[in-house]
Amino acid sequence: MTFVIPSKLFGVLLSGAVAWTTLACAPALHAAEDKTLVVRFYDDPAGFDPANIFRIENENIAFNIFSGLTTYDSKTGKIIPDLAESWETKDNLTWTFRLRKGVQWQKGYGEFTAADVIYSYKRVLDPQTASPYASELAGIDTMEAPDPYTLIIRLKAPNGGFLHTVANYHQGQIVKKEAVEAAGNQVRWKPVGTGPYALESIDVNSRIVLKRHEGYYKGPAPIATLDFHIIKDDATAAIALRNGEIDVLMRQSKEEQLQILKEAGFKMNHVDNYASSLKVMNLSDPILKDVRVRQAIAHAIDYAAITEAIAPSLQGTATSLLMPWMDVYSKDAPTYGYDPEKAKKLLAEAGYPDGFVLKTLGTSAQGVTEQQQFEIDYLSQVGIKMELELVDTPTFNQRRNKGDFMTASRLLPAINPDMILFSYLHPSNIAPKGLNGARYDNPELTATIEAARAEAEPERRMELYAKAQKIAMTDLPYLPATSSNVFWPSKTEVNGVTINYLAQVNFWEVTK
Amino acid sequence: MLTYSFKRVVQLLVTVLGVVTLVFFTMRLIPGDPISAMAGDNLSGAALDRMRSQMGLNDPLLVQYLAYLARLAVLDFGNTVTTKLPIIDLIVGALPITVSIAVGTIILTVAIAIPLGTLAAYMAHKGNRVLDNVITGVAMVLDLMPPFWTSLVCLLIFSLTLGWFPASGTVTIDDPVTLLRRVALPVLVLSMAQVATLARITRTAVLEVLNEDYVRTARSMGWSELRVLFRHALKNSALPIVTVIGLSFGNLLNGTVIVEFIFTLPGIGNLLVGGMNSRDYQMVQTLIVFYAMIFVVINFATDLIYRVFDPRVQF
Repeated sequence: MTFVIPSKLFGVLLSGAVAWTTLACAPALHAAEDKTLVVRFYDDPAGFDPANIFRIENENIAFNIFSGLTTYDSKTGKIIPDLAESWETKDNLTWTFRLRKGVQWQKGYGEFTAADVIYSYKRVLDPQTASPYASELAGIDTMEAPDPYTLIIRLKAPNGGFLHTVANYHQGQIVKKEAVEAAGNQVRWKPVGTGPYALESIDVNSRIVLKRHEGYYKGPAPIATLDFHIIKDDATAAIALRNGEIDVLMRQSKEEQLQILKEAGFKMNHVDNYASSLKVMNLSDPILKDVRVRQAIAHAIDYAAITEAIAPSLQGTATSLLMPWMDVYSKDAPTYGYDPEKAKKLLAEAGYPDGFVLKTLGTSAQGVTEQQQFEIDYLSQVGIKMELELVDTPTFNQRRNKGDFMTASRLLPAINPDMILFSYLHPSNIAPKGLNGARYDNPELTATIEAARAEAEPERRMELYAKAQKIAMTDLPYLPATSSNVFWPSKTEVNGVTINYLAQVNFWEVTK
Repeated sequence: MLTYSFKRVVQLLVTVLGVVTLVFFTMRLIPGDPISAMAGDNLSGAALDRMRSQMGLNDPLLVQYLAYLARLAVLDFGNTVTTKLPIIDLIVGALPITVSIAVGTIILTVAIAIPLGTLAAYMAHKGNRVLDNVITGVAMVLDLMPPFWTSLVCLLIFSLTLGWFPASGTVTIDDPVTLLRRVALPVLVLSMAQVATLARITRTAVLEVLNEDYVRTARSMGWSELRVLFRHALKNSALPIVTVIGLSFGNLLNGTVIVEFIFTLPGIGNLLVGGMNSRDYQMVQTLIVFYAMIFVVINFATDLIYRVFDPRVQF
């Protein structure tokens, strides 16, 4: 016997089944679309205007709201296309960028074009904006847009590192004229970009909410809402993660909390060697101006043992001003292994057989760090008496800029090797004018880095950078002490938290 | 009374002017400024100077001071130096959180400390030294524990282990349930320290009056011990207790700075720490004026309350 379902009844059953399936699946689909990621934010936000942005945590928000002509690959730190699909230069002097078509601004500001780039750069250069990053773009001579998707930038002098200047970071982030003008003096709180997330709301005392930009050129991000909760205390943040109140803990800086979270089974997302911590030697000091003294200090301290004893997760050893992951990093620069006998010999040659008093400027906020305690001990073994002078942070910055110190420290977060070498070693950047706090001026090195910046031929450029690193590590105006690792622990179900070498996360890559 | 109130208002204005002047100049005596605090490690001196000029920080100090007074006279508290947000909006947003913590702490403290102190006094009066010593000892131990430490211990026990209260999360006055859950632990932590002081003062004050004639008279009239204690003894020892409660507001304002930091509560203390760290002159000046006004108003209120307890007090 054949059982035949009348076609009408079949239709009703089928549509009922479809409706049921749709209803049953609806919550799942809805959930997938409306996921929220709760992220710990570790300080009060200070605004997100690329022209005047400070501090990594604010830069992290801006990195996800804005785009640059180029950006950085999260894993390798290499320059990759962003708003520019491609570019060409024959001489590092004239750069032609082919821009992506159809890129949409957030909040309905229309399509992105070359005019937006020209406006953004001119805005940073405008003295009225008072942008601290104006000097980064000061090398631009002319900018023109023959059509909306082509941008030609001519520089005053060749610059092989120009693709870093136009990357999605600080001055390189592109803003929209109409949005900037509409925001007026509140522009830092009303950012409008072309990136994967747009600012939805902000309570500067407690919370920042970002919503995904549905029109993002790579497609909408998997997570609909990023909910940043301000939790300043590291211990509280760890408890919040263990309680399930947050999904991702932006930056855990306490070694013991890291160990607890690791043992509790949380995912320990991290980037190693993102920045190098330097001991700045003031070369205008009568004792430290002798290179043998500086080298003796380097040989006297066993930084590998110190980092292993204090914070093996958060710190590593640094052997150069540049980081090993940088494409122009050279292995041939001299390094200074722990060798107290050699240190004593160098001190004797320099005329200090009984050592000397080494004054070190530090911040009262940090107090006497464990690292400094070890340094005092190591240096005393070769006769150097290290004395600490602790002042508050603004005083520390002021005295370091004025050169009123013997040694001080500086963390060096940078992704552009050319910027590091120029800022820290070029005589035109001697503090307070620039970041060359050591007051270092070696004409041979200056000529080398200038030639490297101008060189268009990659191999020759590498050779010049290798030579510069060799000179810098021989002269040792800055002693690379330790390197910093950054941790963003998260729940195990959160994937794709890749911290780049600017200690930022591209949330477009994150899923839950 | 009217003359007294007028005098107090004048006193308030003079106090505020003194505080404003002191804070304005001491803030600028501290090395560093908002720009260097903001920029930290990564900016050159030339870039910093350009920013200072734009913010008017390179103007002569007297010009800056007079401009500030002129704005203050018309109750224009201005914007923060670093974030450019209207300060009054920030204070209004943060105030309910701090007031919730302060009021909660005072209520809990009074509810625990006064009965405890009265009981200790009564026990001492009756010659029961053991219970008196236990209460006084516990109060001293509580007093010695620093709030930042008790905060973390409370978080570990009540938030992480027992899961009763969240350690973080947004909190607004519009959601009273969440607000209560979020301020419960800070209130507990701050009360611990306050209970100790208030219980000790209550004990001493009550003990003093327990030997007075009117207390003996009350007893001889056959009233219950509880009625004698709370109706007669406690009421007549109220003046030092009210003074201590008034003064404890000062300690509370200090305490909220710590608990707001650890428990991630967006209150006034949080604003003050943020303002100090970023050397935000405008923000710190306004908050200190605000604190000064609270102190003066609380002192005034304490004086008025004296009269409720002791009609002999004249203004």
